[in-house]
Amino acid sequence: MFKYVLRNMWRRKARTFLTVFGIVVGIFALTVLGALSARLNQQVKGARDWYSSKISVVPAGSSLFGGDSGYLELSKVAEIQAVPGVKNAIAGFGLPLEEGSTGFGTPEFIIGADLSQAEDELNLIKIKEGRILQDGDQGKVVLGSTLAEKFDAKVGGTVQLKGEPFEVVGIYEPTLSAPDSFAFVSYEDALNLFRAANPYFQVDNIAATIDVIPQPGVDMEELAQRIDESVEGVKVISPAEAEKQISQFSLIFNAILLGIGFIALVVGGLSIINTMIMSVSERTQEIGLKKAIGAETGSVLSEYLLESALIGFSGGLIGMLLGLLAVFLLNNATASNQVAVFTITWMVIVGPVVFATVLGTAAGLFPAFRAARLKPVDALKED
Amino acid sequence: MIVTRGITKVYNIGPVEIKAVDGLDISIEAGEFLSIVGPSGSGKTTLLHLIGLLDVPTSGSVSIDGQEAGALSPKELTRLRREKLGFVFQEFNLLPVLGARENVELPLRYLKVPSQERHRRAMEALEMVGLTNRADNRPSQLSGGERQRVAIARALVTDPVLVLADEPTGELDTHNTCKVIELMRDLNRETGQTFAIVTHDSMVADYTRRVITLRDGKVESDIAGLEKDPVCEADAEDIR
Ligand SMILES: Nc1ncnc2c1ncn2[C@@H]1O[C@H](COP(=O)(O)OP(=O)(O)OP(=O)(O)O)[C@@H](O)[C@H]1O
Ligand SMILES: [Mg+2]
Repeated sequence: MFKYVLRNMWRRKARTFLTVFGIVVGIFALTVLGALSARLNQQVKGARDWYSSKISVVPAGSSLFGGDSGYLELSKVAEIQAVPGVKNAIAGFGLPLEEGSTGFGTPEFIIGADLSQAEDELNLIKIKEGRILQDGDQGKVVLGSTLAEKFDAKVGGTVQLKGEPFEVVGIYEPTLSAPDSFAFVSYEDALNLFRAANPYFQVDNIAATIDVIPQPGVDMEELAQRIDESVEGVKVISPAEAEKQISQFSLIFNAILLGIGFIALVVGGLSIINTMIMSVSERTQEIGLKKAIGAETGSVLSEYLLESALIGFSGGLIGMLLGLLAVFLLNNATASNQVAVFTITWMVIVGPVVFATVLGTAAGLFPAFRAARLKPVDALKED
Repeated sequence: MIVTRGITKVYNIGPVEIKAVDGLDISIEAGEFLSIVGPSGSGKTTLLHLIGLLDVPTSGSVSIDGQEAGALSPKELTRLRREKLGFVFQEFNLLPVLGARENVELPLRYLKVPSQERHRRAMEALEMVGLTNRADNRPSQLSGGERQRVAIARALVTDPVLVLADEPTGELDTHNTCKVIELMRDLNRETGQTFAIVTHDSMVADYTRRVITLRDGKVESDIAGLEKDPVCEADAEDIR
């Protein structure tokens, strides 16, 4: 039967090809975006790990991903420190490594932290070589894995951050997330770099964020609540809140992906339905003949379902392979910048093909039932 | 063997009621070679479809080998067709994407016959119609007469109790018509295969031993015991 179905499809080469091509386009887009989304989700997962073990305090009206609401007074650190259950309140100051470097991949950041408090936080990521920053370190940097690779840095070597030399004292293990593109320095160093870059800005005794490490056994959500109640003019982002903001971020992207999938579904599905209805109507007599000489309803049904499933499957397979090729080429093209834009997971490979096959089968249901239901007399009388 | 009792088929076209077949009692015995003739619209095709279990009568009954068709579900009717009947139609007989042998094998496939046996029986049937050398040709590569012979092979391959043919020579020239009807007559004589042939063509009817003439859905005449034995004119193709 398989051979027979293939021959029938081959009989209308141009039409079959065009229908398959329609699926290919949709599935291609779906695969590329899927790989993009897989990369994003990986980063989001990393970000989740990074933010879920601490509470972030930011200026009121701001979010995890920044805002225009200025900075926090350093005096807040003491206030937060005084809240029961807080182990460390770590003043932090971050600035982009390069001005205006946006686009794909994780933005690179210089992250300054109050080293007298930050030991627990800096230990959240495993160190690969050297050591984490210690209280009193000046002009020293610990690099995330991506940055270390980009600078070709070694422990004991020197890297330039915004034109200033820093001694590399440690390199972190890859986390496949945001901190990989961070350069960790002391709070003072970060602030000085910022001042040098923005001479008109009067910044002193301020922090961009205050990260809170709770005492062991303290419920983080309750602690976040307590900080919120006892400290004025701040916004407290608990792990749950961070989770929400992070999900919101990936939600938008997943919505776009869903949208593309929906378009592929409608366009591809309709074109398969159209093709199959044409196939059925031009083969009405054939169907009548088959039924006359003893074909079961089910055998006619499965024949047409197989045909539409095959259209879906081949479109899915070709689209997915072209998508992978594109992803591979794009990743290669950007490899020199140390940014992998796409991640290829099993889901990215298998998902679109399964999707297209299911789509093909579902789109074939209506025409196939129509074919299978034909009465032999009516079908034979058709001209 | 095949008995119809008062079968009637009524078509309603708007308020108009057409009795395409009107209360026919016909019985066909094993080994018969009969034709059904009559003017256009007299109900020949309708009758053939009713006997062939392709259509359900408005009233009356059809029985094949003692089995009442009226009591059967569509699925059981399909099975009965598969097992007991062979069909030859006027033009659309063969699936275009299958070769001659594959077309002949098709009913055996529906009977779930294993592939080797299918292959052997299909070749035997093609041998009966003299087309073993065209086994791998697609219908488009065969002449009209050859296509009808393949269709006859397909009808014979399941060893049916009755082969029903609706204008099997309708698309053929005189010579090919003669060859095809001669082939069916020879098969009837040699193997005792029962044939019922709907035709317009008096030459075809002349070959058959019994001729049923329909008019307005009723039997006008039913003459058996005919023994005409015309012979096809030889033509260039036969001189080897
Ligand atoms: N599906 C249908 N709906 C309505 N009327 C029909 C239908 N099929 C056949 N008829 C009518 O039934 C009558 C008998 O038709 P049938 O096809 O059996 O004639 P026939 O003897 O085979 O004619 P022909 O020699 O032209 O093939 C005709 O009047 C025809 O118009
Ligand atoms: Mg007719």
